[in-house]
Amino acid sequence: MKQKSISLITILVLFLAGAFMPSLLKQYHLNMLTEIIIFSLYAVSYNLLLGYAGLLSFGHAAFFGLGAFVTAVAIINIPGISLWNVILIGIAATVIAGFVLGGLLLRHKGSYFALLTMAFNALFYAVATKWHSVTGGDDGLSITRPDLNLGFTTIPLNSLTNFYYLTLVIMGLAILFCWYFTHTAMGKTVVLMRENEDRMKFLGYNTNISRLILFTFTGAIAGLAGVFYTFHFQFVSISAVSIDMTTAVLLMAFVGGTKTFWGPILGAFVYIILQNYLSNITDRWPLVMGVIFVLMVLYVPGGLSAVLLNIKQRFFGKKNNDGNKTATPEEMTS
Amino acid sequence: MSDVPVFFLHGLAYAGLLFLVSAGLTLIFGMMNVLNFAHAAMYMVGAYLSYTIIMQLTGQFWMALILCPLILFVIGALIERFLLRRVHKYGHVQELLLTFGLAYIITELVKWYWGNYPLAVNVTGFLSGTIPIFGIVYPIYRIFIFGCAVFVGVVMALILFKTRLGIILRAAVNDSEMTNTLGVNVPLVFMGVFAFGTALSGFAGVIAGPLLSTFPGMAQEILLDAFVVIVVGGFGSLGGAVVAALLIGQLQAFGVLLIPKLSVALIYLLMAIVLIVKPSGLFGEEQ
Repeated sequence: MKQKSISLITILVLFLAGAFMPSLLKQYHLNMLTEIIIFSLYAVSYNLLLGYAGLLSFGHAAFFGLGAFVTAVAIINIPGISLWNVILIGIAATVIAGFVLGGLLLRHKGSYFALLTMAFNALFYAVATKWHSVTGGDDGLSITRPDLNLGFTTIPLNSLTNFYYLTLVIMGLAILFCWYFTHTAMGKTVVLMRENEDRMKFLGYNTNISRLILFTFTGAIAGLAGVFYTFHFQFVSISAVSIDMTTAVLLMAFVGGTKTFWGPILGAFVYIILQNYLSNITDRWPLVMGVIFVLMVLYVPGGLSAVLLNIKQRFFGKKNNDGNKTATPEEMTS
Repeated sequence: MSDVPVFFLHGLAYAGLLFLVSAGLTLIFGMMNVLNFAHAAMYMVGAYLSYTIIMQLTGQFWMALILCPLILFVIGALIERFLLRRVHKYGHVQELLLTFGLAYIITELVKWYWGNYPLAVNVTGFLSGTIPIFGIVYPIYRIFIFGCAVFVGVVMALILFKTRLGIILRAAVNDSEMTNTLGVNVPLVFMGVFAFGTALSGFAGVIAGPLLSTFPGMAQEILLDAFVVIVVGGFGSLGGAVVAALLIGQLQAFGVLLIPKLSVALIYLLMAIVLIVKPSGLFGEEQ
């Protein structure tokens, strides 16, 4: 229980800190922070699969890209569509895609699952590239953000600060919802399934349906992140649905640490900041990222969050059981 | 329809190439249960090395065909011994992540050294000629590719089913722990298999160079096709890989001929159908 309140407080503190950022940061950095927040949600959704359920997916960009493309297509083809409807359409599309793909792919586990998700990601990529009349193919699609209609008033989103606040609130709420999800019975089922699926089956859980719900849920969250990706850049290209986008989220989640809820958020910060600064210094920044990644796989499988927790334990004693979700099943279900 | 034999032969050549890539992949997967994402990156290294050997150093295609697999054999052995074996104890997810990271690094290194643009590799002499076949004139090189694939396939089958080494390999596929207990040095066998699979993908890379030219995206392109071959043929099944490679080669060739807009999606469609009808693949064992 104590662990739970610490996480919640951390999230709230981050949220408050985020609220003051526009007055502290320059335009360029605020832009970067908006991107980081969007990718944080994307990474958190990915970690629900990788860290919590132990499913290594190489197809998460399919959902992210679907959300991004549906947003652009909806704004271009439906004149005067409101912001909320765009978000709803984006989520609905990814829910359907997640449900269908999950039904097809979740029969397989481990390496098979990884391979199949990558292949289906490639299918989405191929469709996005070839379906030129709708997706714009290699050229991509440019859009203008619709204004935010709150019912009593309309807020223009062409200013970065306004858009930043919208991103902060919606992405923040979505991350909170993910955090809440991991504490529901459903979220705990997923963790227990990773630990011992046979036992869960004996106990009467339908593990296939739980997995399908999780897969659809994470897909929808990634889709929401994709919707905001398009809002943020006011442009979407096929890179949003490419394998590179999957690689990016994998790096974020893994570098940040898959064993904690907040690890991927940290990972998104580190990744985007490194990307921005390294790409100024050298053209070879993907190589640097790759080397960091492999070294971490070899020596620090817990990621940065494991390192931080380790340091914390060294200074403050071993009060917490490294704050992860691999707590004993008794503890989890109580 | 004089196009039909041409596209049929195109399909055969591509099937040969696909088989060479996916044979190594499926062998490693069947033996070690490691899905090697770095496999296609090795194929790319093979292709670029062959560019250096053929176009810059010796001018001999045969030299590349012999040297590249040897170099990649050593690289594969080193990767297995010093990287893959380290993470083996952490389980499959870590192994996958490692090979994925390696693929990423190798691709970047290749772009760094050879540049981010296509390089053409030319064959000379006998292989660059053409022969009349099925009433058309067809490049010998593409038939040579198919011949190589048949040769490799037959040799692999002979080793697996007719030699003592083959017995050990098949035993290790079935139950590596038991094989280890019976006095076989299974880690050494794994290292050999990984190195051989890597060498095979390097061989495929050399062959692919003159056919498709070498470019930075070649790894990802063939990797996905090889994945589809493995899924359709059945995981870890060599016979399945043969059939699936032939099937996908033809699908690719005639897809371009008949419905060019959808040709990219066709093979994924085939994969989806196989997954729905028989999730373990055409020749895969039920899980």
